[in-house]
Amino acid sequence: MTETLLWLPWIAGTAIGAYMLLQYWLTNTPLGCSSVFGNVCARTGSNLSYFQGENFAQKTDWRIWFALGTPIGGLIAALTSPGPWLASLSMGSLYDQMLPANTLLKALWLFVGGLLIGFGARAAGGCTSGHTILGVSLLNRASIVASACFFVAAVITVQTMALFSGMQA
Amino acid sequence: MRHPVVFLLLGALFGFVLSRAGATDPQIVAQLFLFQNVHLLWVILVAVIVGGIGTQVMKRRQIAALGETSPIQFEGKPWTKGLVVGALLFGVGWGLTGVCPGTATTMIGEGKFFVLFTLVGVLAGTWLNGWWRSRKGG
Repeated sequence: MTETLLWLPWIAGTAIGAYMLLQYWLTNTPLGCSSVFGNVCARTGSNLSYFQGENFAQKTDWRIWFALGTPIGGLIAALTSPGPWLASLSMGSLYDQMLPANTLLKALWLFVGGLLIGFGARAAGGCTSGHTILGVSLLNRASIVASACFFVAAVITVQTMALFSGMQA
Repeated sequence: MRHPVVFLLLGALFGFVLSRAGATDPQIVAQLFLFQNVHLLWVILVAVIVGGIGTQVMKRRQIAALGETSPIQFEGKPWTKGLVVGALLFGVGWGLTGVCPGTATTMIGEGKFFVLFTLVGVLAGTWLNGWWRSRKGG
């Protein structure tokens, strides 16, 4: 797996908070990363009323451009790190220990996890960007509850995975 | 400034920052949930403090977005019926895969291609939610 350079937590946190403000100031749009998948559903021919509604109207297609930009940022971050850029299916030693070693089973596992992320983000109205970074910044009640639920469920899930894979959690 | 190129550049900047924060490393994410390394917790905490102070200042000074006249409206997301269950499902998925929607697309650029399986799942899960809503008549 590509090893990327890390900033100190407070520098990285400041950068993320400042980024959110910059996006607002430049474009008057809220930070968010999960709605774009609804826009993709709408533009790839889904006739479901939810995707044809106002939430995913064409004027919100800027999300698609934003999402397309993120891997460019990831690539630049990787190429400006000391180590080499590596294409790999490894997720680092912890996940590689906890997930099935069989590639097909691992792919299925990751797909199911993705299903939960996609379904859950739409049911909750946002993800770790829109709810946890932006929503909690605004001290919005729904976002604080959603973020607490994200963390509690993730902690229980990973602790359970560690337990079943015989790791010392 | 809602030009596609602006959003492409903003996406690149956000992806770069997420990577430098360690958010795109599933190892660091797993360590957070196992309470072995709270690096990401500090990142999120500082981001929320900076974001909280920043949005308050921008609200009070009635700052308008570049090229616009009316002040930015910082609207919180509404409370919905499925919020708690949805957020819990999201958390399970986050734990199972070590990625969230923003880091997932970023990781493609880092060569972390396992994330492609998750991304197909996220798209399918999003569609499934739309289908679920239409089934219930919403």
